[in-house]
Amino acid sequence: MNGNRTRLFDVAVIGAGMAGMATSLFAARRDLSCVQVGNGGGILFASGLLDLLGVHPVADRRRWDCPFEALSSLRRDLPDHPLARVGDDALRAAFEAFVSELGAVGLPYAPLDGANHPVLTSIGTVKTTYAVPRSMMAGVEMMRSRPSCLLVDFRGLREFSARQVVAKIGADWPGLHSVRVEFPGFEAVSELYAAHLARAIESAATRDSVAERVRPLLGDATAVGFPAVLGLSRSGEVHERLQQSLGLPVFEIPTMPTSVPGLRLKDAMEAALAAWRVVRHVQAKVTKVSFDDDVATLSLDDVPGGQTIRARSVVLATGRFTGGGLSAGRGHVSERVLDLPVHQPGTRGEWHRRDFLDPAGHPVNRAGLATDGDFRPLSADGRPAWHRLFATGSILAHQDWMREKCGSGLAIGTAWTAVEAISRGLQAPRKAG
Amino acid sequence: MKYAMFVGCTIPARLPAYETSTRAVLARLGVELVDLPFACCGNTVRGLDQDAYVFASARNLALADRAGLDVLTPCKCCFGNLRHALRFLSQDAGLRARIGRALESEGLALPEKVQVHHLLSVLFHEVGVQAIAAAVTAPRTGLKVAAHYGCHALRPSKVTQFDNPLAPTLFETLVRATGATAVDWPRRLDCCGDPLHDANPPLAGRLTQAKLDDARQNGADVLATACPYCQLRFADAQAGRTDPLPTILFPQLLGLAMGLHPGRLGLPG
Amino acid sequence: MSASSFRIAVYIALGLCALGLLWRLSAWLRVRIGPDARAIPFHRRLASALHGAFSFAFSRRLPGVLKAFLLDVLLQRRLFAEAKVRWLGHLLILLGFTALLLMHALAALLTQKLFKGYQPTLDPYLFLRNVFGAMAVAGIVLVIAGRRRAQRVAPTAHRLGDRVFVALLSIVMVSGFLLEAQKIASPAAFQRMVDEYFGEDISPEDLSALKAAWAVDYGVAFEDAAADPDPALLETGRELHKDACASCHSLPTSAFVSYPVSRVMGPAVRPLDDVDAAKWLWYLHVFACLLGLAVLPFTRLFHAISDPVSLLVNGAASSRPLSDAGRASRRALAIDACVRCGLCDTRCSVAPIARFMNNASLLPSHKLLSTFRFAREGRGRLRDGARYDRIAEGAFLCSSCGRCTERCPVGLGLDDLWTAQRDDLAAAGHPAAAKWVQSRTASEWADLLPAPPGEGPAVAPLSSDRRTFSPCVQCQTCTNVCPVVAHTAGAGDGVDLTPQKVMNLLRLGMVDLALGSRMVWDCATCYQCQEHCPEGIRVTDVMLELRQSAYRRLATVRDRRRPE
Ligand SMILES: Cc1cc2nc3c(=O)[nH]c(=O)nc-3n(C[C@H](O)[C@H](O)[C@H](O)COP(=O)(O)OP(=O)(O)OC[C@H]3O[C@@H](n4cnc5c(N)ncnc54)[C@H](O)[C@@H]3O)c2cc1C
Ligand code: SF4
Ligand code: SF4
Ligand code: SF4
Ligand code: SF4
Repeated sequence: MNGNRTRLFDVAVIGAGMAGMATSLFAARRDLSCVQVGNGGGILFASGLLDLLGVHPVADRRRWDCPFEALSSLRRDLPDHPLARVGDDALRAAFEAFVSELGAVGLPYAPLDGANHPVLTSIGTVKTTYAVPRSMMAGVEMMRSRPSCLLVDFRGLREFSARQVVAKIGADWPGLHSVRVEFPGFEAVSELYAAHLARAIESAATRDSVAERVRPLLGDATAVGFPAVLGLSRSGEVHERLQQSLGLPVFEIPTMPTSVPGLRLKDAMEAALAAWRVVRHVQAKVTKVSFDDDVATLSLDDVPGGQTIRARSVVLATGRFTGGGLSAGRGHVSERVLDLPVHQPGTRGEWHRRDFLDPAGHPVNRAGLATDGDFRPLSADGRPAWHRLFATGSILAHQDWMREKCGSGLAIGTAWTAVEAISRGLQAPRKAG
Repeated sequence: MKYAMFVGCTIPARLPAYETSTRAVLARLGVELVDLPFACCGNTVRGLDQDAYVFASARNLALADRAGLDVLTPCKCCFGNLRHALRFLSQDAGLRARIGRALESEGLALPEKVQVHHLLSVLFHEVGVQAIAAAVTAPRTGLKVAAHYGCHALRPSKVTQFDNPLAPTLFETLVRATGATAVDWPRRLDCCGDPLHDANPPLAGRLTQAKLDDARQNGADVLATACPYCQLRFADAQAGRTDPLPTILFPQLLGLAMGLHPGRLGLPG
Repeated sequence: MSASSFRIAVYIALGLCALGLLWRLSAWLRVRIGPDARAIPFHRRLASALHGAFSFAFSRRLPGVLKAFLLDVLLQRRLFAEAKVRWLGHLLILLGFTALLLMHALAALLTQKLFKGYQPTLDPYLFLRNVFGAMAVAGIVLVIAGRRRAQRVAPTAHRLGDRVFVALLSIVMVSGFLLEAQKIASPAAFQRMVDEYFGEDISPEDLSALKAAWAVDYGVAFEDAAADPDPALLETGRELHKDACASCHSLPTSAFVSYPVSRVMGPAVRPLDDVDAAKWLWYLHVFACLLGLAVLPFTRLFHAISDPVSLLVNGAASSRPLSDAGRASRRALAIDACVRCGLCDTRCSVAPIARFMNNASLLPSHKLLSTFRFAREGRGRLRDGARYDRIAEGAFLCSSCGRCTERCPVGLGLDDLWTAQRDDLAAAGHPAAAKWVQSRTASEWADLLPAPPGEGPAVAPLSSDRRTFSPCVQCQTCTNVCPVVAHTAGAGDGVDLTPQKVMNLLRLGMVDLALGSRMVWDCATCYQCQEHCPEGIRVTDVMLELRQSAYRRLATVRDRRRPE
């Protein structure tokens, strides 16, 4: 980390959420030297399920079995939507690349088949998503066929109650049963944390002991569901070994953020970036960026006296309000690092619709940075603010990822397209104007 | 490459082999070490009296500063404490003034330029992996090593600036430079348990055991450390075991690979 | 003083000395330091000591120990390495004092019998006495000066008796030189000698001739001495002197200390004669010597006995570990074998901390004394809680670097003593703070530990600043990565809170509830939470600061609450 002050990077990524991670990863894969600043708390990675596009139009809450069909509808209705500017091929390639990187660092996903999948959640609802971790995939099949199935939970783990799930969905799934067991080694502990169980179960002894305790309770089950605590960095192995010792398909049910699958995804991203030699400044924030003709200089709040990073291109992936990319002042939404113009409703009164629970969402949910086709944010005069400044992920305008169920797709897709543009721009001699 | 050697309290008293092997390896790699009249880094008061701790660290740093040298320490806790002290001094003007006065009464001045490095950072960044690999004459081919990072070098990264705190590679890279294989083990970044050794021995024991089990389960032949506390902790926790997982100090591993006589590395033989 | 009363005085002094010795020696078997030592009765320690002494006397290690005695105790090789000035001083005292003892004090027993014609006023004895005396005085000066320099760390701990020896030695030396100077210049002393030697057999002419010669050559301060005596008279006097006095009186210039002193005293000599000063100076000289002898076991000089024994014990311990009883006795011996040289203090790793915290109890020389006092006063008699609090601070802030043990010129096993002291303190209700906190629950401590006045941003900058913790979104990340929470196996064993809950207590302004919590005190300071917190909260730094606040507050309640 010492020599990085004087180094000139090809790409500097601001933000370590899904978009920042995907941008850094894609940049590094293209052999661009990359530095990333920002803190990616596990919560930013939610449940480890990667949505592409689940719902459109928001007002109708229409769900799609095929995300690409949804996309073509989106492109017609909302041409400014960031995802509308990413081609199908680019999205397919981006997701393939993303999950294969995750697989390479020990977080296997089920093969992508171009379709959305229903996943049972810890509150007994069904979520529609695109890429599913392999440890959850058996659950998707069970959801579809609904045979006799056992849900296991652990005493003291408040995040997941198998009985509650059965109560909620049991009417539609009569073969679903619940049991509760003690987690080995934690018998005397009253309050359990999923992350701790996930690490404990990576020990072969603990894993075998869990299998011992569940095996007599199997009955006529054809598959066994667990809360998502089956390992952290070794989840693939734990899942496989558990299937072997129980002799049945095993699947995980994602819990609420911060969930273990979210932590896995975060850890896997960290590992993948390290493998690609991305230089990271975690626990740091960018306070200022200044540009000259060809080089951007980022100032960090990292160490007293300041630290700076120099890069030939910059990607803003600082998220919206929760991520800290945008802030809502009195009657005005502003961008926090560069004070770029933010596309937003005219007045504060217009931010929300009259009905707060309006399924169509609110105008402010679509606030963000307006960009050109390469995801370069525009300055007030409608031209790119700097020729190699880009923005990816939820900071972009004209999307409502939460309602549209397209968070990861937005992050991954825009990252892919922006990196392509960066790569092109760094190779080409700079055009005049 | 010339540094003030900060050996700390624990190494001379309980693990002299660490100092021996560090000096032997660094001498061979052309790193010069200077001894200054250092005292405790302040570890013993860190959690009890902030000013006293910062003063203890600052006094050592002031000595190195006066000598115009950066500090090299093989101890990760000393490393963390010294670096934290610099950080606290630069952040808190009141503290800075108080410590400045106390230093003045000893004829010293607040440290200004001095930097603090851990042995591993010097090996990695200053000596360089290539130079190390070039010095290796007896590669440890086939030896599977679990590298234990140690908390106080790695975290908080803002202060220690040691490596990427979430997915570090520095130690494994150095291990590979010796010709050995670095195993991947999930608990490699975990705490060894030593700081709880006095306050809560059973809990400390479970932390240590979890790490040892994990290293074994992932096929390690040996556990490599670069901190006296960690090394002693792993050794003590396995005292009496018939099949302990051997632990080795990194400069010993490196020294062996460089063909140094075990006796010069504080090893039997 | 008559010869018989002098002899009685000597016997009394000798008797007191013997009793004192017995008392001091028995302490090595009586004093119990450390809980393990308390379980061992006197007779077992006596048996082990006798056994050890006996088996050692016939072992082959004796030469080695004698060598150590020579190098370490007599020649002080470690002192030489550390502090040359003090080493020289010590050597000068040792040589000068011993030589005076043998040649001068024990003249009747030794010198007279060995050297025919011994006369205290004759060279080389006169000269040598001045040499030895000068050595001792110079030694005292050097030792004191050197010590001043070493004590820049902090004054070395001392006991009352430590200074008595140096004080008495100084009195003996000064009174000795003054006595000699007074006698040299004293007309009364001259008259007494003339009376003794010639009786009535000297003519007034001869007497004035002799006086003239002694006034010039010996510097006797006669009242009526002519400044410029008649050369013939002087010649006569010198002839007479050669026949009568010279065989017993060397020239006083040999007394190269006393003679100049006598010249300085000059005219004061006669008034002093009038009050019989020589007699009083002699009394003072002898009284100081006898007093020194009587209290010898309680002075620094006792180390002349305890150090060799200590080295013998070390020698024995180096080949075979000591028995429990042996170790217990060795601890008790250490307090007497320590020469309060303070070398341990100058090298102590926590000496800067001792200075900063203004607590000399951290320094090894002080710890040695406090260890002993604690053992002697016993657990039940802790009258002064505040003082023991300071002592406990000293005991538990030791970094166990071993430098004191390594440096101690008499090779004391200090590391073993420090362990024993910590155990003693813990058993008496003064354990390390982290242990002490475990005796109550966090909410009990919250009631017991009110904020002392003045607690605020200066001493607790993180926890008194809302900006530290208000960004906490209670996301549980810190708890997820906390190894201490993850390895807590049940109630009582580990933590009562989680890092996330500690942060929440701060957010709610309930910091008191966190101060005594197991989470705060059993935090491994692994910095996982701080590194992972998505809001950049310095969770671990806060934990450490909370401990510091608690420690400050604990000190205030410790003062008030004495162990039962
Ligand atoms: C509650 C929740 C549920 C979710 N559920 C799903 C789901 O079901 N399916 C799915 O696919 N995805 C889900 N997601 C993830 C979602 O895809 C992403 O959060 C979304 O795409 C936004 O990602 P982002 O990277 O653009 O912004 P964010 O995730 O908000 O990240 C912003 C990053 O920028 C950093 N930052 C901000 N300012 C600075 C600065 N000045 N300097 C440096 N760094 C800065 C922040 O620290 C943060 O790392 C969920 C996320 C959350 C929080
Ligand atoms: S062991 Fe303790 S008392 Fe002795 S020198 Fe070291 S810190 Fe000081
Ligand atoms: S313990 Fe040893 S070093 Fe310390 S004062 Fe006593 S004799 Fe000197
Ligand atoms: S990780 Fe940070 S924000 Fe989350 S609960 Fe802990 S202190 Fe609060
Ligand atoms: S520093 Fe303390 S509170 Fe934080 S994770 Fe480590 S043990 Fe837990």
